[in-house]
Amino acid sequence: MTVTAKRPPEFKPHNERKRAETIAAYVFMSPAMAIFLIFLIIPIVFAIVISMTNWNGITPLNQRPANASSTVIFENQTGQSVTLPAGTIISNGEDEPRRYQLTQELIVPAGSGATIEGAVEAVEPGRRSNVRRGQLDTLEDGALAALVTVENPISIENGLDPAFEFVGGQNYSKLLAEGGIRQTDFFTALKNTLYFVLGVVPVQTVLALVLAVIVNQRWLKGKGFFRTAFYFPSITSSVVISIIFMWMFTQDGIVNTIFKAIFPDYKSVTWLDDSNGLFHNILGLFGVSRQTVGDWAGTRLAGITLWDWLSGPSVTMMTIMILNTWTTIGTLMVIYLAALQNIPGSVYEASSIDGATGWQQFKWITVPLLAPTTFFVLTIGLIGTFQVFDQIFIISSGGPAKTTLTIAYIVYNNGFNNSEMGVAAATALLLFVIIFAFTMLQRRISRETANA
Amino acid sequence: MFKRFALLLVMLSLALPVLAQDGINITVAGWSSNPAEDAALTARLEAFMEANPGITVEFVPSTDHTVTMQTAFASGIYPEVFYIDSSRLPDWATAGVVSIGDEQIENPEGFYPPLLDVFTYEGDLYCPPKDFSTMALQYNKDLFDAAELDYPTADWTWDDLYAAAEALTDEEAGVIGLVTPPNLERWLPFLYQNGGAIFNEDGEFVMNDELAIEALDFYISFARDGIGGTPSAVDSGWGGEAFGRGRAAMAMEGNWAIQFLLDNYPELNWGVAELPAGPAGKATMAFTVCYGVAANAEGEVADAAWQVVNFLTNDEGAASVASVSFGPMPTRPSASEDYLANWEARTEGSGVNFEDFGAYIVGGEYSYPWRLPVGFQPFSDAFNASLQRAFDGQATAEDILTEAQGIAEELMSE
Repeated sequence: MTVTAKRPPEFKPHNERKRAETIAAYVFMSPAMAIFLIFLIIPIVFAIVISMTNWNGITPLNQRPANASSTVIFENQTGQSVTLPAGTIISNGEDEPRRYQLTQELIVPAGSGATIEGAVEAVEPGRRSNVRRGQLDTLEDGALAALVTVENPISIENGLDPAFEFVGGQNYSKLLAEGGIRQTDFFTALKNTLYFVLGVVPVQTVLALVLAVIVNQRWLKGKGFFRTAFYFPSITSSVVISIIFMWMFTQDGIVNTIFKAIFPDYKSVTWLDDSNGLFHNILGLFGVSRQTVGDWAGTRLAGITLWDWLSGPSVTMMTIMILNTWTTIGTLMVIYLAALQNIPGSVYEASSIDGATGWQQFKWITVPLLAPTTFFVLTIGLIGTFQVFDQIFIISSGGPAKTTLTIAYIVYNNGFNNSEMGVAAATALLLFVIIFAFTMLQRRISRETANA
Repeated sequence: MFKRFALLLVMLSLALPVLAQDGINITVAGWSSNPAEDAALTARLEAFMEANPGITVEFVPSTDHTVTMQTAFASGIYPEVFYIDSSRLPDWATAGVVSIGDEQIENPEGFYPPLLDVFTYEGDLYCPPKDFSTMALQYNKDLFDAAELDYPTADWTWDDLYAAAEALTDEEAGVIGLVTPPNLERWLPFLYQNGGAIFNEDGEFVMNDELAIEALDFYISFARDGIGGTPSAVDSGWGGEAFGRGRAAMAMEGNWAIQFLLDNYPELNWGVAELPAGPAGKATMAFTVCYGVAANAEGEVADAAWQVVNFLTNDEGAASVASVSFGPMPTRPSASEDYLANWEARTEGSGVNFEDFGAYIVGGEYSYPWRLPVGFQPFSDAFNASLQRAFDGQATAEDILTEAQGIAEELMSE
């Protein structure tokens, strides 16, 4: 009697079922994956490629390259067939870059409209030439002058250069190292953005927490009203809010009017057109200025003087910072509010039995229990502020004197105003690296504080 | 299966009318400056379609033309006809998206020569000018009367301008004498009036010589001495608004300000004079736009596009611009009388005499077009930022021009 170990009969079907489930899972996932691929992965790869080219963002990417075969139409009115050797230069007289040469020997029969394809290439393909329907009127070889005169036009079609060339890391080095205008702009934007982030993120986080705690109080009447009121700026269009702020902060706007009513000696501040930095202004109160601090302030770091690095946000930037804080507080408050309502009431009850005061409860219960939420709020705050664009675009366009130029804004500016899409893509990727680094740093700090 | 097939058929048949439209379709892409102008353009295009059956033309304005066009260019599918601002031509021509119009443009000799020059790039004429504006001096008659000053005339000099601005400034009332926007193109007339230039004949950068420093220092002096300033310093978005609100007694704006001032400040009592002459004579800036034809238009589509463009810019087209203009002038001298006549009726009852607008037309003769070389946008951005700093007292004319020279040389070497 032998006992043969048999595989359990249900084993294989189970495995098969598992595979079928896996396939089903992928099928269900596929729409999301397709969207992810089309709208995220492909654009990111494209941006990385573009950042290593000199593409101007204008020339169509599918434009035929210059050395692609072109069509030449000869009109030979000499009455006899003429042989043109390969390498014959065709030009329109004055313009050097517009020269073409024959790639092969051509026999042009007598008569008009002899069309020969694939016969020419640009002499200097590195330069963009734009002859498409233009007419060339001279052959450089003197012997052939009789063949091509103004009456015998030659037209070359599709003789265009490629949309871009690969330049390797040149765009990055322009932005980071070469000491030119792009480097200065990039670091000016970095400086402004850092001041913006350091000003906005802590303030909006603290205020959001305080507001959330207040509107979470049982004794508060009209909670619904306050919650709506605080959340309102977040759901209103950023453009509308920005324009309202512009009105409020004009020289004879409501802000200055209120200040004037309180302080009769107040001299109106031009909030939206003041390039003086906050720290410079404060130092100025103590009589410290660029002239009095000594020569060290003139030392340049990444194209910007140390004195300018220490300017602090300009008055205009501060106005935008206030606006940005005000509009984001609502969203962050809602996140805190949700987290607050997840803290069990029993914890507070137990602590009050132990005799904890309201402030002690806030400090030792609310804040620690909200730590994961605070991490989340700080992270989205960091990412959001590093990418600030719309309010800058509407209110100041980077001015006055480039003090509200942010990194996201110079991405746009390089791409669309300066026609340097390669530099713009490189800037965008650098912004990604910066945000990534700061988020990692913040993660580490949060973890360490949590462990301590 | 059949159901899905049927659905596909239905969707295809919905798409068909678009695909199967007969004849040639031409899209004219631009921006909308004024509803009256849009209506006039549309009417002109309708006249074209009547005369040319088989060609359909549509005007499609966008709010941010440059960005809209750039994304369209990059995709390789873009409108057959589009507006090109003179300052954008070098970039777009170099990118190879604009057709050369040497052979196609009708009667090019009939345009103002400076306007043809600005749309000629590396020896080729690209596109016919649509309309143009020149800078002139707008002055507030009431403020001049209050200060007991004579109105500006065509033979004013820099000293006259400065003295008037000084006399007109009223710090109590928040009125500055002259509004001076911190923009390169607003200062350039002073550079040319002083005999300076951005580049000399050999193409070398000379905008840092004595002439330039003197001219820039003069421009900065208004803000520095508290008798001028930026539009935002007097709570305005631009010079025309500052002038219209009476916060600036004088402004150097172009024709675009006319309709704006008439519409928004009907009570304003104002006049227009030529820009004052500098040590080296008269100069002003011309701002102009042309109708470009797409480089990827071929065959009969290209021919139709050129037909449209010529229809809009020939003598008759210029006359039609003149008769409905909300500001910009026709690009052919043949229509300049129509232009003034058009304003006669429209300025009736307002505080301005239409004959003053002759200052804009005269300016066309000694104007310099606004155009910088390819890739020079960072140059003007940096100049404008430094000019703002100079207004705030943080930089001098010499600082700005030394910096400008460095940037120009960097950009030229690329």
